[in-house]
Amino acid sequence: MDRAFQRTKILTNHLLQSSPSSPAQIPSLSSNACLDYSPPELSEGYAFDIKEMRQLLDGHHVADRDWLFGMMMQSKLFNPRVRGGKVFVSPDYNQSMEQQREMTWKRIVYLLERGVFKGWLTEKGEEAEMRKFAYFEAVGLFDHSIAIKLGVHFFLWGGAIQFFGTKHHHDKWLRDTENYLIKGCFAMTELGHGSNVRGIETVTTYDSNTGEFVINTPCESAQKYWIGGAANHATHTIVFSQLNINGTNQGVHAFIAQIRDAVGNVCPNIRIADCGHKIGLNGVDNGRIWFDNVRVPRENLLNSVADVSADGKYLSSIKDPDQRFAAFLAPLTAGRVNIAVSAVYQSKVGLAIAIRYALTRRAFSVKPNEPEVLLLDYPSHQRRLVPLLAKTYAMSFAANYLKMLYVKRTPQSNKTIHVVSSSFKAVFTWNNMQILQECREACGGQGLKTENRVGHLKGEHDVQSTFEGDNNILMQQVSKALFAEYVAAQKKNKAFKGLGLEHMNKPCPVIPSQLTSATLRCSQFQMDALCLRERDLLKCFVLDVSQHQAKGESKEHAFIMSYQLAEDLSRAFSDRAIFQKFVEAEATLAAGSLKDVLGMLRSLYALICIEDVAFLRYGYLSVDNAAAVRREITKVCSELRPHALALVSSFGIPDAFLSPVAFNWIDANSWSSVQH
Amino acid sequence: MASSVSSQQDHQVLVEANSSARILSLNRPKQLNALSFQMISRLLELFLAYEEDPNVKLVILKGKGRAFCAGGDVAAVVRDIRGDDWRAGAKFFLKEFTLNYLMATYSKPQVSILNGIVMGGGAGASVHGRFRVATENSVFAMPETALGLFPDVGASYFLSRLPGFFGEYVGLTGSRLDGAEMLACGLATHFVPSAKLAMLEAALCIVDSSDPVIISSIVDQYCEQPSLKEQSVYKRLDVIDRCFSQKTVEEIISALERELVHKMDVWISTTIQTLKKASPTSLKISLRSIREGRLQGVGQSLVREYRMVCHVMRGEVSKDFFEGCRAILLDKDKNPKWEPSKLELVTDSRVDRYFSKMNTEEWEDLKLPTRSKHKLPLYAIAKL
Repeated sequence: MDRAFQRTKILTNHLLQSSPSSPAQIPSLSSNACLDYSPPELSEGYAFDIKEMRQLLDGHHVADRDWLFGMMMQSKLFNPRVRGGKVFVSPDYNQSMEQQREMTWKRIVYLLERGVFKGWLTEKGEEAEMRKFAYFEAVGLFDHSIAIKLGVHFFLWGGAIQFFGTKHHHDKWLRDTENYLIKGCFAMTELGHGSNVRGIETVTTYDSNTGEFVINTPCESAQKYWIGGAANHATHTIVFSQLNINGTNQGVHAFIAQIRDAVGNVCPNIRIADCGHKIGLNGVDNGRIWFDNVRVPRENLLNSVADVSADGKYLSSIKDPDQRFAAFLAPLTAGRVNIAVSAVYQSKVGLAIAIRYALTRRAFSVKPNEPEVLLLDYPSHQRRLVPLLAKTYAMSFAANYLKMLYVKRTPQSNKTIHVVSSSFKAVFTWNNMQILQECREACGGQGLKTENRVGHLKGEHDVQSTFEGDNNILMQQVSKALFAEYVAAQKKNKAFKGLGLEHMNKPCPVIPSQLTSATLRCSQFQMDALCLRERDLLKCFVLDVSQHQAKGESKEHAFIMSYQLAEDLSRAFSDRAIFQKFVEAEATLAAGSLKDVLGMLRSLYALICIEDVAFLRYGYLSVDNAAAVRREITKVCSELRPHALALVSSFGIPDAFLSPVAFNWIDANSWSSVQH
Repeated sequence: MASSVSSQQDHQVLVEANSSARILSLNRPKQLNALSFQMISRLLELFLAYEEDPNVKLVILKGKGRAFCAGGDVAAVVRDIRGDDWRAGAKFFLKEFTLNYLMATYSKPQVSILNGIVMGGGAGASVHGRFRVATENSVFAMPETALGLFPDVGASYFLSRLPGFFGEYVGLTGSRLDGAEMLACGLATHFVPSAKLAMLEAALCIVDSSDPVIISSIVDQYCEQPSLKEQSVYKRLDVIDRCFSQKTVEEIISALERELVHKMDVWISTTIQTLKKASPTSLKISLRSIREGRLQGVGQSLVREYRMVCHVMRGEVSKDFFEGCRAILLDKDKNPKWEPSKLELVTDSRVDRYFSKMNTEEWEDLKLPTRSKHKLPLYAIAKL
């Protein structure tokens, strides 16, 4: 009877339909068969307190971050759009480059008016510096362009004045910079010289008749390049230049020069051109600058380490030009710290999106007529994403350490800061690109839509492996620094101290011939394995370099020739240093579910490091042991699977800063959501 | 005897079954329909039953008399706690917040007819639902900070989602909004003149559908576009955004005072006075609550608010709630003595304590009812 009734109803519907069929009118046939979005919040539980975990990851100023997130979400300037019933904020990357630049600038003005930058250059102390880091990280979660535009103005221009300048520079420029009465940029890189700053070709001479410096761009390769802010907005710049006094080159120095007047006209003897459209960061107005014998007053030399007297004498307390240059650039590590930390937050965005999607998207049934399988329930999908989650947790703890190291800096800690920030900046930014690519692929086609962020972020953050020090060069500096430590310890017959190398003073760890699951999960074994690799590679590297030198080659040439070992060594150092910070973070916790989950993540991080091909290449692991490591990885991945949602929720990134594909992606794509 | 008590309590919520619609009327007009524990329990029971009942497609909630609902029956809660049992108070809020969560994620549309006072718990019983119909008689407010409490019932979720920083303004000052303002800011979804309510109700009773699009189109037929009054606070959004976006309560007040430097403005000075009269502790935990709620789902917001309200009931950090109830509801001298008495004495670590777990035995976080059994509508999924 029922069936007959239903049949008639369908037929009636069919006959009554005058227009081409609209599925909305036959709900009994359409809705049941279709996929429903099932929110992971309703099916996945939290075995630990995600607020506590977030506090551990963010480390500081959590409420301040949230205030700033809210500030961005509640303003139309941050381009809020509703998708699937939720609000998302993200720039409109479909705007032209010029429009994106103007929007970036308007957003900065809005944050300025709301007092976000209060004290960024005029307040001193740890608390103020850490708060500044927190705000910078939160803004960077909205958009890379706004972060970079702020970074150039506050950390590069402002930082140069703070660190290279002296009191009269501070008094004259810092407050006005903080209030954006002037807009600063930072002209260091040239077309012909990037990482090799000491080779730049801009030349400055001193005219004692007028008491002015004369800055000049002598050739095309000396044009300043990639100068953020130069193309549209900046009024002032720091210029890096060779200083030539009476025919003697005194090396690279920094000067202040005005490049635009208050209404935005380019100053006389300055030529500016645009760097053009880029693969990302189109909200930043990167420009090129030529100086045609630009004259600046004598006090515009940033004179913290060297000065020129009114009558044109060069004065410096540091006689050795090498040391002078090193002392000069040391304070600029803030940029590397920021980049390293920012890379970790971008990885968090990518993983939060990809994992949330994997908890709602199904593909293929194992048996006919069974429901399709959730992506994250495939061991292969777990294997792709969960280790990256462990890596991101490890980087978070290491990044917090790096920030503290920077904020508590002393003249004695300069070397450590330089080595650790170089290593972490390179490794985190490389990891970030790898993580974003995997996350993009894990979102399938949806990952390709700009509004879903994960794919777009790759283009936006690719630059991180290049600016503020090319990653490869930074890693070479790490191995050179380790080399110097080794040679010094040998020469003076002293124990290793600093850079985490104290393990070198102990007997060499031994890896058991048969690795059991229990051993593989033991943090002591994990640390031993990572130390063993670092220790052995350092010895090999030193040996290799000395063999080259024995053939009469210079040390510099020997380093160039030993590059393979250098690369493996700097990796080994970084992995071990990061792991150490993970272990330390875990040790601060009382026993409980939070610590248990972190223990699993820590093991997973160690195991993927030990899975690295170097362990087989240099014979630290037998083939059997390497297989045991791989087996264990799959086990830990499946044990972490139930915590996946909690682990990405603990990142503390507001829903509005993720993307539609991370939530109800069916509703976000429904016909009713189409503008018609 | 027992049965007569229970039937009397049942009369606090009147039920009319009208084809596929259920009309629930809050029926304590003398108390402006303040929600008693019994009413909340009854509502919870009815909403749960209706969700299971395929014959029910729609729930209409309204109030008898001149109020929709003036809030939770706080006076009764305080009486309970005075008997030295803060857990009785906690039990009240546990039930109430569970009801709020159920309404926020309800699988069938709830239409609330807000023809009168809507305050505190009354907002919690309506704003989470899909349709909120305001009238020319609507008066909305979240007055908790004057009482030593904070905007609870999931207000940190819905206030924080109002345009700009209007939610901070409404939540901290307890400012009263009329129907037009409720519609403009989104607390109400429709405005229907009270004269047309009977017709609207009749139309809703025959709609026989749970489809929000269909119900919306029915309500639209009775809807009017009210205009904001000349002096409406909603016309002051620019000042509100500038001042109430500040990070701390102290900074909000100094931002308001800065506005006065240029030009005398009665509304701004009244706002400052209101803030200075409210409990300093309440202001600080309310601001923090709204800021956290803005980044949380409705469930997480309620779990957090439940922690907060338990701290308030227990009175270990501050007893302002009891003092507020004494001064406003019991003695009515309107002169509460807050402790700490000044904003600067309410330190961050004091505020932090309200957001931490209660460290007493047998206390548990709010357990939200399972919602995976029912197919939730899209608007409910988006709130998770």
